Amino acid sequence: MLELENEIFLEMVHNIQETYGYVPEREINQLAEKFDQPRAKIYGAIKFYSMFYTEPTGKYVIRICDSLSCHLNDSHDLLLAVENFLGLKNGETSPDQLFTLEVVECLGHCGEGPVMMVNDKMYTELSKGRALEILKECQ
Amino acid sequence: MVKERKFLKGPRLRDVSTYEFPGLKKALSLGPDRIIQQISDARLLGRGGAGFPTGTKWDLALQQQGERKYMICNADEGEPGTFKDRYLLEERPLKVLEGLMIGAYAVGATQGYIYIRGEYSEPIKIVREILEDAREEGILGEDIFGSGFDFDIKLVRGAGAYVCGDETSLINSIEGKRGISRIKPPYPIQEGLYGHPTVVNNVESLACAAEIIKQGAGEFAALGTDNSRGTKLISLSGDINISEVFEIEFGSCTLSEIIENLGGGVRRGRDPKFVIPGGLSTAALLPEELDCTYTYEGIESAGSSLGSGAIIVVGESRDLVDILLKVSRFYMDETCGTCFPCREGNKQINYMLSQHRNKKFSGQEVELIEDIGEVIAAAARCGLGQTSLSLINSIFNKFPEELIEEVIHVD
Ligand SMILES: Cc1cc2nc3c(=O)[nH]c(=O)nc-3n(C[C@H](O)[C@H](O)[C@H](O)COP(=O)(O)O)c2cc1C
Ligand code: SF4
Ligand code: FES
Repeated sequence: MLELENEIFLEMVHNIQETYGYVPEREINQLAEKFDQPRAKIYGAIKFYSMFYTEPTGKYVIRICDSLSCHLNDSHDLLLAVENFLGLKNGETSPDQLFTLEVVECLGHCGEGPVMMVNDKMYTELSKGRALEILKECQ
Repeated sequence: MVKERKFLKGPRLRDVSTYEFPGLKKALSLGPDRIIQQISDARLLGRGGAGFPTGTKWDLALQQQGERKYMICNADEGEPGTFKDRYLLEERPLKVLEGLMIGAYAVGATQGYIYIRGEYSEPIKIVREILEDAREEGILGEDIFGSGFDFDIKLVRGAGAYVCGDETSLINSIEGKRGISRIKPPYPIQEGLYGHPTVVNNVESLACAAEIIKQGAGEFAALGTDNSRGTKLISLSGDINISEVFEIEFGSCTLSEIIENLGGGVRRGRDPKFVIPGGLSTAALLPEELDCTYTYEGIESAGSSLGSGAIIVVGESRDLVDILLKVSRFYMDETCGTCFPCREGNKQINYMLSQHRNKKFSGQEVELIEDIGEVIAAAARCGLGQTSLSLINSIFNKFPEELIEEVIHVD
């Protein structure tokens, strides 16, 4: 299938997303050409991964872990506070394209919950107040 | 009093220019057969969850004929409660690199990969720098330390799919496909990445291998018990006072001692409601079951398994349905969808659980959940489906009064 051994597909898609904030259609077309694959196959592979977006997201993607260990550290309260503050539910993007909110599974900081990622920055042991401060600084 | 036994843990080790790579140098002088002998003598079992003997895996890979072989480090850590690989990637990444290189040299691989989950931005940054430095210093590349061994490593970032931690999903993922599990056989050792023989090892397994070569197989094998040699990194989390990565010698303590002595006891209370000893794929243990020694066989005899070493403590006042929902949502979110029962079954179970916010389950419903679990496991191509109901079923079995309308005896 996508066998170009010197080119790692996942890395290419990450790089595209770092440039544009998402993976635009013309890039999918180019990947299809490069790997000599139908567009649907490229699209299907990209859609498999929850960190890849084929539509623009907010400038800040907010990820809150609500897996078990964080849940035991009250991640749900943090989530409610952030939902309230942003007026967003899981998977939604604000109309001004500033924030996208995602409830995600374990982020590997289970001993320091609750945790929140803002793009690729990780915040641990968050109080609700501190989380809202961080979000205000983004505005 | 339980104390840590530090075989893997140690001061931060990230500077390529000052690190001597003692394990690698020794390995290069030993040659493939004697390296594998050492790893086999140490009786190291893979730390990624399946517990396959690393020496055997390397030996099988060495025997494989092929113009090319690959060696992959699995750093896709993502099971809730597990963060010990992140500790190694952040604090001791040179040991992981060294283990990967030793393995590659032993099995005859010329190209390596480190697959790190995309959310681990800090480890990604650290490993990327280390790889660049290692190339600059000639530690990666051609004729490494004048041995004639050529080897390089590519860093691949995952992109938010837990199931890619399964070794065949991970291989598909590196190949640019959807990260779904492959039908086995053929095993990766026979036909892995791009169809070539491929070894996949966990981060901790590789760090162990580097230390075994450096410190000697005897040093490692002297630790632990007959069936569980060496030490294990455990990730403690949940309703516990101290949540950290600890390293303990197998057999040196019981689960309850780990919780009391290392974890500083249960948070807000004396006894836990239950403990999950090895991550979300392992059965819950009640307080009276925690006196088992911390070994593969000890936890098995208590009716669960050691899994990835993630110990999650659940406090007395917790609502069971709430917990069940979190567990089932994880499997619903993370199934890759290839096996129909795993895809639909985990969704159905989540739905059933969500209908029971303040209502007990009928015996029939519990049976249905068990039945669905059996079908999921029977049809499952990978470990995710095989174990997705282990924890949920165990909670129903251990808390019938709290969860089930009139207790029927299921033994
Ligand atoms: C759903 C699923 C997720 C897994 N996740 C991981 C993981 O994050 N890290 C890991 O090393 N092994 C993981 N494994 C186990 C791997 O398939 C494989 O057994 C392991 O990487 C082999 O390395 P080891 O022999 O050194 O343990 C996972 C398995 C399954 C079924
Ligand atoms: S058991 Fe589940 S996760 Fe594993 S391959 Fe089948 S559908 Fe995918
Ligand atoms: S459970 Fe939230 S980071 Fe692991």
